Amino acid sequence: MKHKILALLIVLAIGLTACGGGAEPAGEEGVIVLRMWVHTNNAFIAGYEAAIAAYEAEHPNVDIQLENFDYELYLQTLQTAMPAGEEADILQLFGTWTSQYYERLAPVPPEVMTVEEAQQTFYAAPIGGFIVDGVLYGMPQEFNMEYGGVLVNKSLYEAAGLPYPPQWQTMDDVLADAQALTQTDASGMMSVAGFHFTSADPTAFSFLAGIKQRGGDYWNADRTGFTFNTPEARAQLQWMVDAVNAGVVDPVVFNDETNFVIDAFFQGKVGIGYIGAWAIAEGQANFPDFADEWDYFYLPPFEGDPVFVADSGWGLTVSPNSQHQDIAWDFIKFLTTNPEMAMQWNIASGTIPAMPAVAESPEIAAAMPWVPKALEILPYGQYLGNMPDRDLVVYEIIYPHILNTLQGVETIDQALQAIDTEANSTFR
Amino acid sequence: MESTSQRTRRQHQGLAIAKRRFVASVTVPLLLYESLGIFVLVWAFVLMFFDYSPGRLGGPLLGLGGSNPFVGLGNFIEMVSGDSVQAGLFRASLRNTLIFAVAVLPLNLVITLPLSWLLESIGNRFKALYRTIYFLPVLTSSVGVALIWMSMYDPQGGWINAIIRFFGGTPVAWLSDPRAGFAGISVAMWAVIIAYLWQDYGYNMVIFIAALQGVPQELREAALIDGANSWQAFTRITLPLIRPTMLFVCVMTMLSSFQVFDIIQVMTNGGPNNQTQVLMLDIYKSAFRYQNMGWAAAESFVLFLIVMGVTLFQMRVLRTDWEY
Repeated sequence: MKHKILALLIVLAIGLTACGGGAEPAGEEGVIVLRMWVHTNNAFIAGYEAAIAAYEAEHPNVDIQLENFDYELYLQTLQTAMPAGEEADILQLFGTWTSQYYERLAPVPPEVMTVEEAQQTFYAAPIGGFIVDGVLYGMPQEFNMEYGGVLVNKSLYEAAGLPYPPQWQTMDDVLADAQALTQTDASGMMSVAGFHFTSADPTAFSFLAGIKQRGGDYWNADRTGFTFNTPEARAQLQWMVDAVNAGVVDPVVFNDETNFVIDAFFQGKVGIGYIGAWAIAEGQANFPDFADEWDYFYLPPFEGDPVFVADSGWGLTVSPNSQHQDIAWDFIKFLTTNPEMAMQWNIASGTIPAMPAVAESPEIAAAMPWVPKALEILPYGQYLGNMPDRDLVVYEIIYPHILNTLQGVETIDQALQAIDTEANSTFR
Repeated sequence: MESTSQRTRRQHQGLAIAKRRFVASVTVPLLLYESLGIFVLVWAFVLMFFDYSPGRLGGPLLGLGGSNPFVGLGNFIEMVSGDSVQAGLFRASLRNTLIFAVAVLPLNLVITLPLSWLLESIGNRFKALYRTIYFLPVLTSSVGVALIWMSMYDPQGGWINAIIRFFGGTPVAWLSDPRAGFAGISVAMWAVIIAYLWQDYGYNMVIFIAALQGVPQELREAALIDGANSWQAFTRITLPLIRPTMLFVCVMTMLSSFQVFDIIQVMTNGGPNNQTQVLMLDIYKSAFRYQNMGWAAAESFVLFLIVMGVTLFQMRVLRTDWEY
């Protein structure tokens, strides 16, 4: 009987071993294989493939295998693979997520780059998310700027008899143009939104920028809590309500779920569409037949200097379980700090460079004419701050309550009180 | 020379060995399969007592403890009386799930039972054709169904609003207006309920048709001879006889209603103003978007208790002790 139990255990062990993973990918003799995980974005992937080819040409003994996942699947894969220690050697990570994952990431070795060197190399906003408690965990590839950038439909401008390009000095000028661009059908439903600012990211980030520009802050002094119920926040939310009341957008018909700004703009339903520059590549890819002429501009500040906050955008990190962390960091440094490589990746992906040296280059200006327009305000960008859960705060608290206010479901007081209470509850 | 009794004994021994081999070969895969399933259940049960996020390293034992602390019944207490955004979303999701399930079940029965009865009463020539037509939506993917209905509900280009405009009415933002409602339920919720019913009703129809075909014709004929009209024959003879099928349909429809996810995720993603946020969607977002696995496990346990309670209640109310 003992023998039978032993045999059963052996069979079970063999079965479980066969089911298990974790083996290093077998490569040719002498070739070091690294796995790299990224989310699926064809423009991004094209940039990575070119960088990998260039790195492998210089390092013939390295084989970097790129694997991509749809955004939602990527999140799930990270969350299941990391606790099991099965993640790839190199991980693409949104910088703002680092504060949630840093316990499972390898710090950047000082010989690769120190925190001080990183802060001198990159803009403050992109590098901010990769630093947690004074430790650097990755390197950024893009300046994820959700504030201030707008798609402008030239054809609609000309049809409305407005001067083009827009000559905006203040936000009142923007609203005046938007009112002229807005159209409604015979039944009274808005068919063209003059100024679509009611998607999630534009709403949340213009709210936060407005607070900053009015001299306020949404963080308390020691950054252990939020302060959303302030006069500056009230003034900014009031500005948004006034814009809706001026008739430039109907937030019931134009929001994040219905007539999302990219889809609506590239279907000719939006005059001025508030969205980050990353939307340009996506819009061009998804709506190749869109015939209207259009361009990308930056809005004037609500008040004072164009101070704004930004997420730390996409960048690269290394797994502490990687057997070849040195090579992984060497590749990341090659891709993110080598100006030529960083430039080709930004051009391929259509993203704003994370390094001032690259953002100011003539090659970037030639390939992405909207980047030079942003150069004046990029230095005003501040990192959003390490929140307990950035997505929860932005997408389940700030945006829904502001949208409710714009749709007339909540008052300004109710919204600010709810945002303040709920956002602070994320610290528990 | 081998005697008959020796041969018989040898055959029995061979049979016993073959049986043991068969049992061993089946037991190992079954043990593996069951252990995986049980591990998942046990893991979910354990997680609901922790503030667990896969992004945090936690303690040495399966990542529990440390930065993933034990919270006891804290998740459940927060669900009932907390002021956090997760607690608010859970309560809204629970309310919406109950509204959805309570609306779907009677509406589904009201549509499928009479239609099945009608279909059963028509000639065999067209029966198969109609049955196929009614069953087609069931075979369509939920995402496809959601996209079709989204295009119909589109506030600007959808044909539902086109008809309303044609008759001079005011168009409605069916999936995005938090102010619009009917009978105390938001318009967006009604919109997803209708889409869900459209996709689901063919399934119950096929089951009801099978049940109606099993009802002895003589009983109905006897009732008609005794002076009952068609309605009386249906309500007094047919309906009681298909009660076991009613129980099955009610339980299955209720279960699938409580677990509705994909069609709502595509059509509204829980909006507007969380008016269509249901429990499964909230569990999914908590677990995979906000990495709050402990909270999601606690929500899953609540859903499990509700589904079990409703199923037991239905089985008690609709139970029959006889067969025909």
